[in-house]
Amino acid sequence: MINPDSEDPKFVEIPEPTGWPIIAAFGLVLLFAGLVTSFFITFLGVLVCLAGFAGWFLDVFPHPKHYAVPLEEAPEPHTTARSIKYLKIGHLGHRMRLPVEVPPLMAGVKGGIVGAVAMAILACAWGFFKYGSIWYPVNLLSAAAVPSLAEASQAALSQFNLLGFIVAVISHGSVSIMIGLLYIVLLPMLPAKFEWFWGGIMTPLIWSGFLFATIRFINPALAVHVDWPWFIVCQVAFGMVCGFVVFKEEKVETMQSLTLAAKLGIEAPEENS
Amino acid sequence: MAQEIIIEENYRMPAPVHVGDEKGSLTRVIQQLVFTVDHKKLGLMYIAAGLLFFVIAGLLAGLIRMQLAFPNNHFLPPDVYNQSFTMHGTTMIFLVGMPMAFGFANYLVPLMIGARDMAFPRLNAFGFWVFFFSGLLLYFSYVGAPGLYAAGSAPDVGWFAYSPLTTKAFSRGHSTDYWTLSLLLGGIGSVATALNILVTVFCMRCPGMTLGRLPIFVWCMVVLSFLVILALPCLSACQIMISLDRYLGAKFFDTQAGGDAVLWQHFFWIFGHPEVYILIMPAFAITSEVIPVFSRKPIFGYPVMVAAVVAIAFISLGVWAHHMFCVGMVSLANAFFVTSTLLVSIPTGIKIFNWLATMYGGKLRFELPLIFCIAFLFQFLIAGLTGVMLAVAPFDWQLSDSYFVVAHFHYILIGGLLFTIFAGIYYWYPKAFGKLPNHKLGLWHFWLFAIGFHITFLPQHFLGFLGMPRRIYTYQSDRGWDEMNLLSTIGVAIQSAGILFFVYNLIYSYFWGKKSGDDPWDAWTLEWATTSPPPEYNFAKLPLVKSRRPLWDAKHPEDPDWKHE
Amino acid sequence: MNSATTENPADWKLPSARKFGILTLILAESALFTIFVVAYLFYMGKSLNGPYPSEVLEFPLLGTLALFSSSGTIFMAERCLLAGNKPGFSLWWGITTALGIYFLYFTGAEWHHLIFEKNLLISTNTFGTTFYSLVGLHAFHVIVGVLLLLGILISSLRGRLHSDHTEHVEAISYYWHFVDCIWIVVLTVVYFLSVRVQP
Ligand code: HEM
Ligand SMILES: [Cu+2]
Repeated sequence: MINPDSEDPKFVEIPEPTGWPIIAAFGLVLLFAGLVTSFFITFLGVLVCLAGFAGWFLDVFPHPKHYAVPLEEAPEPHTTARSIKYLKIGHLGHRMRLPVEVPPLMAGVKGGIVGAVAMAILACAWGFFKYGSIWYPVNLLSAAAVPSLAEASQAALSQFNLLGFIVAVISHGSVSIMIGLLYIVLLPMLPAKFEWFWGGIMTPLIWSGFLFATIRFINPALAVHVDWPWFIVCQVAFGMVCGFVVFKEEKVETMQSLTLAAKLGIEAPEENS
Repeated sequence: MAQEIIIEENYRMPAPVHVGDEKGSLTRVIQQLVFTVDHKKLGLMYIAAGLLFFVIAGLLAGLIRMQLAFPNNHFLPPDVYNQSFTMHGTTMIFLVGMPMAFGFANYLVPLMIGARDMAFPRLNAFGFWVFFFSGLLLYFSYVGAPGLYAAGSAPDVGWFAYSPLTTKAFSRGHSTDYWTLSLLLGGIGSVATALNILVTVFCMRCPGMTLGRLPIFVWCMVVLSFLVILALPCLSACQIMISLDRYLGAKFFDTQAGGDAVLWQHFFWIFGHPEVYILIMPAFAITSEVIPVFSRKPIFGYPVMVAAVVAIAFISLGVWAHHMFCVGMVSLANAFFVTSTLLVSIPTGIKIFNWLATMYGGKLRFELPLIFCIAFLFQFLIAGLTGVMLAVAPFDWQLSDSYFVVAHFHYILIGGLLFTIFAGIYYWYPKAFGKLPNHKLGLWHFWLFAIGFHITFLPQHFLGFLGMPRRIYTYQSDRGWDEMNLLSTIGVAIQSAGILFFVYNLIYSYFWGKKSGDDPWDAWTLEWATTSPPPEYNFAKLPLVKSRRPLWDAKHPEDPDWKHE
Repeated sequence: MNSATTENPADWKLPSARKFGILTLILAESALFTIFVVAYLFYMGKSLNGPYPSEVLEFPLLGTLALFSSSGTIFMAERCLLAGNKPGFSLWWGITTALGIYFLYFTGAEWHHLIFEKNLLISTNTFGTTFYSLVGLHAFHVIVGVLLLLGILISSLRGRLHSDHTEHVEAISYYWHFVDCIWIVVLTVVYFLSVRVQP
């Protein structure tokens, strides 16, 4: 680590101790202190300050003053022959769980769409059996964004409403696809044996809990009319179906284990043994 | 007459002996301190002066808490109470936080980058003395300022000195002038030192120490110095403006004559918010050194860590008005400052996750520095979360100027800054004195201080929710604030006990501590490559750096880092 | 990524400390001026009573010319120094100093006129407050600059300026150019913009 080219002197030059900076600083303080006491002190401060800076100037001009300090023996770093292991993907035993393989992106989209359909069928079935209209849940969902629906009566909610239908399809579809995409990222990181449990039950429950806490603010109309057990059943149906679709898909390798050059496509990836 | 000059081969220059310069005498020590331009001595002087002011301001805090312990209390007269919180805040920020940061930077930056001294050693001494004298000037107000109540009245306008409180009509005498002038003076010293640090880092690195290999500590200090360079002059401008108002009758903040009091708030917080990030930088710096060494792993995500501090500093220049939501700005301004403030939490979060990732899977050694840094992680997280809450304007309208804000920034400044300063002192104590700090005393210090700290400041969040405003002199007992205020005061006593252990540890270990050797923690940065304590010239030969962990390379020649970086 | 192994300490080059230092100082000074310029802009046209800028300010032609041409002369001085022409250096450097002093004289005369004939004091109104503080801050920087210029001029005339002092000279010239640039801003804000704002 020692720089081999640097000279090997017996002395090192270091700047000489000097009192001028403290004198300049003191002058400056007097200058300010005079403003709160008496201007005579300010005047004194100006003088001291000028003296300090002048002395300082002579310290560094024409050449900064140095003095030589004799060198002492420098410590050698004590070397230890100890090899360390660098973690590699696929090594057993270390506490690192990066998904090496994940389902492809399209699986998430597909899972989201299929799950959305399954959930919609269940929800509409609930609307049909309870209120005699499959449009009821659709209108409720879109009430978040359509003010007229948020204030509508029970009867109006059971009617077909084109705007409500469009809003519901868009919001239900986009949220479902987003969750499908989340599934392909999340599921491979969770403990491997109980995928159906995590994807099919736990995640829908967490999501339902989150909605339970916040739905009052997001969609007050839905909060009033929603039937929580059914709601949870619908969520679980989504989770099961979406998870099933996602997992049926052939997995692809992530780029986690590749070098930067390989990720950028400059080099061909190394074969992983 | 020609005389033969004999040069002895092993001749060493004798140290000059003057009267009062005999080795070991007190006069010699004083003389050395006064005349020194050595960055290590100045660094320790900064830290020592910071500790001195810390104790003074801590005593003031004790007075404040005693006054607030009970309802309808008259332990302090009201004017002394106002002076106490003003002096406490001003001291902690300008005479404790910043000097501590500069102390660490002064001592460590040249060592870490393999330099023999700072770029401008004399300017360095100047900066220290200006800071120190400015502190004395501030405290001289206790005896020297003719105030409303005749002689001896300290500043009492709060640490941000809102206008029009500072106008001649509301602040008679010179107490406010002491405040402005000493901060103006201190600003000069701070800018000088920050400039010195920047020049040192950019112009004095040893061969091979590229910017990409700088220890993160040094990066944080660079960012800190940039913030000082950009923010402190704004404060100086503010101080010049009030002084012109007060001395020459200028109209900057004189609302009777067309001046604008809110302008002061803008100008002050344009400085003030970067200032609070100046104060958290040493915490980032120290944590980023301590966690890797005591987890036995290199820092996780070095480039991202650097990018995050730079981003934090950059964003922090554009968030100042989150201190002013209650002033009644236009909605667009509110929205802008809410958004920019919330943005800060992204790089901050990245930093926390990277520290955790550094510890994850590491082989943790629970020495004192690591213990303090772990506490920092928890406390900084809480403080960041309350910060994000306050950043939401409607929430802030409810809680601004309440004890919730007080709790927020004490979690930052004590739970964040002070805890890491303790970590840093314990970590580099062997470097500076060659002795290990005592572990047992340190644990006493840690537990007393941590428990006391949470007892004091956790209830203040709830006091804020219950509507207790900050800076009130006293309160009635029907508000439901009594128990928590008492609890808060009791916490101070426990913290003080912790501080006693800390101070005792510093003294005890200096005289009776175990010898540490040069590199007690088996660390990787250059400051440990020389003897502990280091010689005046730091390095007999300047090192040659090939990786981010030069000392690792030296200790493990068979498997150096630069093969992998 | 093993470039480290081939690195040669002899190729290790870092920027000059003096120049870097003065640039950092300039950054700090810019922050200081920014606040005063913002204050000026903020209060522009908001004075409750006269005199107003459009009534009392005259374009400072001669002072401006002096200051701007001093940037040129200091550049000539530096060229002479690099070429080893010491008398030329002293001459151009002396002219620069004289131009700086003339600028100060000009500002002094302007202030005298404003104070004693136009009755504009720093305490008269917010225009007076912001005008004197901004222009005064700039003048203060010119004073410091002139002191630095004088220091170099004296050393040069006494023959104590050596070739290894070019960095000092360059650093001071950076500072002087900066003072010049600030004057452009002050000129724009004070003598162009604010005189066009109707009270
Ligand atoms: C996650 C980042 C942070 C956010 C979002 C944040 C947000 C805020 C907000 C909105 C306020 C104003 C509250 C009010 O007065 O109504 C505030 C006050 C304060 N913050 Fe933070 N903050 C953060 C981090 C920090 C840090 C790192 C520090 C210091 C090291 C700090 C120190 C302070 C101080 C000292 C005050 C009070 C100033 C005063 O009124 O006296 N904050 N913070
Ligand atoms: Cu802030």
